[in-house]
Amino acid sequence: MDGKFFDPVCGMDLSDIEDVATFSSGGEEFRFCGDYCVNRFKKNPGKFQNEPLIKLREVRKVFKMDGAETRALRGLNLNVWAGDFTAIIGSSGSGKSTALNMMGMLDRPTGGKIFLNGKNTSRIEDIKRAKLRSDMFGFVFQQYNLIPWLTAYENVALPLIFAGEKVNKQKIETGFREVGMSDRMDHRPFQLSGGEQQRTALLRALANEPDIILGDEPTGNLDSKTGGIILEMLVKLNKEKKKTLVIVTHDADIANMADQIITIKDGKTIRNHGKHKKTYTA
Amino acid sequence: MFKNFLILTLKGIRYRPMRSWLTILGIVIGIMLVVIILSLSGGIKNAVGKQLQMFGSNLIVIFPGKETNPLIGFLGDQSFRERDLMELEKIKGVKTIVPMEVRVMNIEYKGEKKSILVHAAPWRGMIEVFEQAQGLRLQEGRWPINDQANEVVLGYLTINKLFKNKVRLGDEIIVKSKRMKVVGYVSEIGNQMDDNTIYISMDIFRNMTGIRGRERSAFAIIKPGANINLVAKQIKFSLSKQEVVRDFSVITPEKAGRLVGNVLSIIEFILMIIAGISLLVGAVGIMNTMYTSVLERTRQIGVMKAIGASSDSILSLFLIESGMIGLVGGILGIVFGVTASYIISFIAVKFGIGNLFSFASLDLLGLFVILIITFITGIVSGVLPARAAAKMEPAEALRYE
Repeated sequence: MDGKFFDPVCGMDLSDIEDVATFSSGGEEFRFCGDYCVNRFKKNPGKFQNEPLIKLREVRKVFKMDGAETRALRGLNLNVWAGDFTAIIGSSGSGKSTALNMMGMLDRPTGGKIFLNGKNTSRIEDIKRAKLRSDMFGFVFQQYNLIPWLTAYENVALPLIFAGEKVNKQKIETGFREVGMSDRMDHRPFQLSGGEQQRTALLRALANEPDIILGDEPTGNLDSKTGGIILEMLVKLNKEKKKTLVIVTHDADIANMADQIITIKDGKTIRNHGKHKKTYTA
Repeated sequence: MFKNFLILTLKGIRYRPMRSWLTILGIVIGIMLVVIILSLSGGIKNAVGKQLQMFGSNLIVIFPGKETNPLIGFLGDQSFRERDLMELEKIKGVKTIVPMEVRVMNIEYKGEKKSILVHAAPWRGMIEVFEQAQGLRLQEGRWPINDQANEVVLGYLTINKLFKNKVRLGDEIIVKSKRMKVVGYVSEIGNQMDDNTIYISMDIFRNMTGIRGRERSAFAIIKPGANINLVAKQIKFSLSKQEVVRDFSVITPEKAGRLVGNVLSIIEFILMIIAGISLLVGAVGIMNTMYTSVLERTRQIGVMKAIGASSDSILSLFLIESGMIGLVGGILGIVFGVTASYIISFIAVKFGIGNLFSFASLDLLGLFVILIITFITGIVSGVLPARAAAKMEPAEALRYE
């Protein structure tokens, strides 16, 4: 893009970096933001020479509210690889949730491009976006976001209704059994605990069997024990069911569990992929 | 998919029952008014028609004042000269002219005083007018023997309900301080004013009031086979030559029917406008509720879009909701409207007006059309708010507090 070079692993714009790392493979020289990405590349060069599952290039997002402009993203570049657990970490207001919304097509960028499986999705029409969201993505939010006038069961069935699919009652009941909520399916969200609501939200996210799970601080509203259970479920989905997992967090402990850590500061990715020592303030 | 959306929508409506029902009430009131007007207007026209039929087909009424103010004409100050009225008997086709006076007078019975309408005319003419007019019959008793006898005939309600004690034939009644004997009463006419009346001879009336040589109004009894409209024109021409009463009306039964029909149509039209405005207000109520619903559910709209709902799905959900509110309002409006029409008709019977409403006369097709209109009104009212909901970007909606 415009003669720019991007790290083939994390997708960072290398023009901002003075001391780029290099590595040759198959007679070709690759440039990286640092040793962390070089080492990742070395372990599986074939993987990183293909298209990433999700690619953001120079993505900008400006919010206009009451005449005031807020630049949430200022040319964000990142790659998400199929089957990876990617954590996006940063302080409050860094643009990490906005980045997740871009990936999941919950919002449109003001500038730049977003690729899903190599296809530019930045400007596609609404009906195709809705179909892609339904087929490819499952969302888990910090505030659970269950529909209050539907039961837990009905909340999980909802994505299938919107997709025009048949609701498989047995499959949904099995899901509730696996998360230990067989006897809570007919309850409405206000009758469920935070953990139960998030488990329901997780089942809803999986209803259409998407390839990608996006979580925006999924444990943010939960106590550490319950949060741990939810995180364990998410990680299990990634490791055992090979779901691509992208989690936005400010918690270093969660980020350190990921295959790839993307750090966002002031709407751009910065070079900070390794194990994080500090947790960002929320 | 539509079935699922319908179920979803019904669950959403039940989540805020008070708000939904209050919005539905706005539609119910408008539809109820429309249904009452449509159900009763036929019955009212028939009832008025029946009253007019009692008028008689061979009678022409002559009274001072414009056609549009018959009551003022009857009860106002102007009077024809008697000789101008009797001159009309020379017109070919006129059998008899019956001069008539109608006044409000005080009457007393066993110490109880009331004011009622008094009809005064020569007895022979009065009896002939009654015979011409259908439905006016002597129910019990007899007519007075002559115009000088101090005898009266009462209206149906006068004898039965006006006084605390029911008046009996042969009893004495005091009319303008003169003692009169009740010798008979007429059959029920069907309205309060005409049934609460008393009939006396013109001679007795003149003695009581001192008014001679002038009459307020007259009936012209037409010869069988004569062209009533032509006779009416001739009466009008003859009376135009006199200068005492400048504005006067000559009303045939057909003209009376037309006049009343026009008034009823205007009243019906005005009532339909009021009902239409009421329905419009109901529609605005739906729009307001839907906008509030969109605002309240902004976050939920974001969630639904996030889990795969397209803008069209969101639009459909809200349009189904507003359509359902309109439809339920229409159904309830029809049910309450029909019930209210039945109750009004039931009460009207107590006032002597029968057959205002019957279930058999319900225009089922018309009611079905009303239902379709309320459903469409609901949908149209919801379009703008639904589009606002559908347009939102999921992330923008999710950020809404």
